[in-house]
Amino acid sequence: MNRDAMELLQGTLDVLILRTLAWQPMHGYAVSRWIRERTEGTIEIEDAPLYKALHRLERAGCVSAEWGVSENNRRARYYRLTATGRRRLREEESAWRRYAAAVFRVLEPA
Amino acid sequence: MRPRLLSLIRRTSSTIRQDVDAELQFHIDARTDALVRDGLTRDEARSRALREFGDLEDARAYIRRVDTAIEQQRRRRDSMSELRQDIAYGFRTLRRAPTFTLTAILTIALGVGANTAIFSVVHGIVFKPLPFPQPEQLVKVWSANPTAGSMQVTVSAVDLDDWRAQRTQLADIGGWWYADGGSGIDFTGSGDPQRLSVAFISPGFFPTLGVQPALGRLPREDEMIRGGNDRVAVLSHGFWQSRFGSQRNIVDSTITLGGAPYRILGVMKPEMRFPSDRVELWIPFSTIPDNATPRIRPVRIMDVMARLKPGATLAQARQDLNAITQRLAATYQENTNWGAATVMPLADAITGDVRRGLVALLAAVGFVLLMACVNVASLLLARSTIREREVALRLSLGATPGRIVRQMLTESVLLSLIGGAVGVAGATFGSRALVTMASGQLPRTSEVQLDGTVLLFAVIASLVTGVLFGLAPALRARGTDLQASLREAGRGLVSRSGQRLRTGLVVSEVALAVVLIVGAGLMTRSFIQLLGVDLGFRPDKLLAVNFTINTSRHTGQAHRLVYREMIDRVRTVPGLVAVGAVKHAPFRGNGERISFVPDGLTLGGGDQAPTAPLFHISDGYFATIGARMIEGREYTVQDGAMSSPTPGAPPVFSGTPSLIVNQALAEEHFPGTSAVGKTLRLGQTRIPIIGVVNNIRQTSVEEPVQPAMYINNMMNSRVGVTLVARTRGEPLAMANAVRDAIWSVDREQTITSISTFDQFVGEAVARPRLLTILLGLFGTLGLVLGAVGLYGVLSYLVSSRQREIGVRIALGAPRGAVLGMVVRRGLLMTAAGTAVGLVVAFALTRYLRDVLFGVEPTDPMTYALVVVSMLAVAGIASAIPARRAATVDPAIAFRSE
Repeated sequence: MNRDAMELLQGTLDVLILRTLAWQPMHGYAVSRWIRERTEGTIEIEDAPLYKALHRLERAGCVSAEWGVSENNRRARYYRLTATGRRRLREEESAWRRYAAAVFRVLEPA
Repeated sequence: MRPRLLSLIRRTSSTIRQDVDAELQFHIDARTDALVRDGLTRDEARSRALREFGDLEDARAYIRRVDTAIEQQRRRRDSMSELRQDIAYGFRTLRRAPTFTLTAILTIALGVGANTAIFSVVHGIVFKPLPFPQPEQLVKVWSANPTAGSMQVTVSAVDLDDWRAQRTQLADIGGWWYADGGSGIDFTGSGDPQRLSVAFISPGFFPTLGVQPALGRLPREDEMIRGGNDRVAVLSHGFWQSRFGSQRNIVDSTITLGGAPYRILGVMKPEMRFPSDRVELWIPFSTIPDNATPRIRPVRIMDVMARLKPGATLAQARQDLNAITQRLAATYQENTNWGAATVMPLADAITGDVRRGLVALLAAVGFVLLMACVNVASLLLARSTIREREVALRLSLGATPGRIVRQMLTESVLLSLIGGAVGVAGATFGSRALVTMASGQLPRTSEVQLDGTVLLFAVIASLVTGVLFGLAPALRARGTDLQASLREAGRGLVSRSGQRLRTGLVVSEVALAVVLIVGAGLMTRSFIQLLGVDLGFRPDKLLAVNFTINTSRHTGQAHRLVYREMIDRVRTVPGLVAVGAVKHAPFRGNGERISFVPDGLTLGGGDQAPTAPLFHISDGYFATIGARMIEGREYTVQDGAMSSPTPGAPPVFSGTPSLIVNQALAEEHFPGTSAVGKTLRLGQTRIPIIGVVNNIRQTSVEEPVQPAMYINNMMNSRVGVTLVARTRGEPLAMANAVRDAIWSVDREQTITSISTFDQFVGEAVARPRLLTILLGLFGTLGLVLGAVGLYGVLSYLVSSRQREIGVRIALGAPRGAVLGMVVRRGLLMTAAGTAVGLVVAFALTRYLRDVLFGVEPTDPMTYALVVVSMLAVAGIASAIPARRAATVDPAIAFRSE
């Protein structure tokens, strides 16, 4: 997948973050690693938009943040999915699945 | 709940910055460490981590912005929820102290209600703009005779035409002739005959006002030409509704007015009530024939208003009109002394007389509100001492002082808003009652209503009140000393600062009360003076029936016979003591002003003859109204004798003309000698004076009587008649009998009004009476509020010092001394307040000068009475708590807490 195609898909960053946080509360670095590992490097994600999205989601009430202590004993900001965030994730997930299915139906050889 | 707790911690912009930096640093460090573990050197690892991150600074700035917004959002939400908490808490607190709450709410309701009622009246009458387009351009204009010192005289219709033709700074100018109960026309032809109230208008009238009809059209200029044959009329909205059932096809139909057909051109809008609420028709002045109102310059009967050209100033209009009047004075001999005009804004002219009184009322009622504030503040203060423990507890639990102040203010504003709502409900009745009490003696009362502006006033008044009376206790709560109040609250000691504050409140309250009572006292004394004025007649048991004899049915000299016949018939009605008639009853018109030349006066070239109003009266009029002849005699039936010049011909007046003058005229023109037997020249005729009558108050109770002349209506006949009858019993009970006697002469005679002289006098003093009643009411309120405030503070003092008083009594202090101590304290505060109040009253009451009659604003008698009554009331208010103090059981001193 080339870079131009990636730009189009950036809107899905929110749903990836919400999905990631649905497992457990984690800090920004962990979210970043988790997504990279899950996509096995297919999607190249920069961290700057990831952090922007995290704070944007906090403002929208989808996640809440609080300071905690990381694995290596440092102060880290932990994000937790809120009830609003969970609802948002469900909506986005199903929308995304419908979208992806539609794209696949076009791409599948007849 | 963790997030809720978190929000208690305020994030400042610097903590936000630190947090953002820390979060991003953590990420970079963690990534670098991971890459070092993978085998990269630390430098390589770091630059790779940064590369992977992307635009770090952009992200940093963006995150800060978002976090700041989150924080603001949270603060807003927090303060809303705090407010909700405060209100809920406030309601709970108020419910727990129902007596306090009820007292406070009623006090505020009284203050806000009274203010709203008075404001609604003052707003409608004084502040609201006139209901015409660009009302600020409208001015009232009078003819002025500077030599005679008469600066506001109504205008001659002839002069008005010249003014209109020669104007340069005025968009238009128009006049009207309207007299309440005087300018009317008989309406016949459909149902009962009815006397309609008419404003007779000049061509410029409607264009000057800038009003348009709701239906049909306004008269054209060519329908208002003097001597023209057009008889047209415009209906008032109210008359159209009541008489024609709002039928739209009334336009262009014809009705019979005064025996002649008039075409109805249109119907005005409901808000068009100028020059009076009572106007039912507007008819061109041109329809009045010359023989009814001569079109000569000395007949000055029209009220005139003008509209300034856009951009023109009042000064330019004045200049314009003065230039015109000077030209007319130079051209026409009869205008020699009339080379000036007085111009003032129309709104001022309409409300001028009443403005002072109303503003005084507004000030007085504002004082009442202030006193209500002080009373509630002192109530709150007493409570806040009780609540000091609660405040201390909350402070120790971590509430900020600001939060406590806000909570207390919320509580007081809650109180004031509830009180205000109750007050506004009361004000709706109050403002109606005020208008009714004014008995039609206030202009523009139709504009008085509780509209948006008035409600806004009430809300603001309530809010300001709440903050005002809540502030002192709230700020005091903030200064609560934790340690001290936790300690003291248990022992019931009074902190010094609280005591000082309360004393200050009482002193200022007494001062306010004194100002109010001084105002009320002055007004009451003035009103008593007014009622004591010798009117020159006895108004009790006098019935007045006003009507106009119809000259189109009683042509030629016939109306004189009708007049004679009606008086004679009424005289036969049993139950009447005396019967007479006059064209203008006292307080119902001021005669016809004409010039006269008394014996011995020779006029030089430019001299103007003196003028005086001439009243048309019947024989026996003075005896009927209870006036006294100083000299000579009044008219008898013989003075009006009529006989036929030739047998069979209609009878004409055949007596000798004669005049009666009042004492003022006799003293001015025939000082030191008898006026009887002297003559006055009216026009070209010398007429002998046969009697001098005492001075009769004709225009107002306040103003001294001016010279006046009386002539027998049989000699110089007028068709406007006020038949006056002195009755044995209740005058209005005789109304039907008198009316039937009049109808026995002419069944179609319309009656304009039936009333009593007591009503005339009542209306003449209605304004001062209203002012007296209201100022008296506010004065009483002030006295009561002041007494209650004093009582409250002293009772509080006694109850909080019970232990100390008990100790004193136990140590042998006589109970009398204890009583004296409390009363002395009350009187001391009162004396201080009274002193301040007297000074303030002295400074303020001079604004009352215009509304006072026969009393100086500094009347020492009033001030002395006020001091005595204030001290007396204060003494009583102090005595009750003092007695309680004197009966304190000394054992209390030894009781443990």
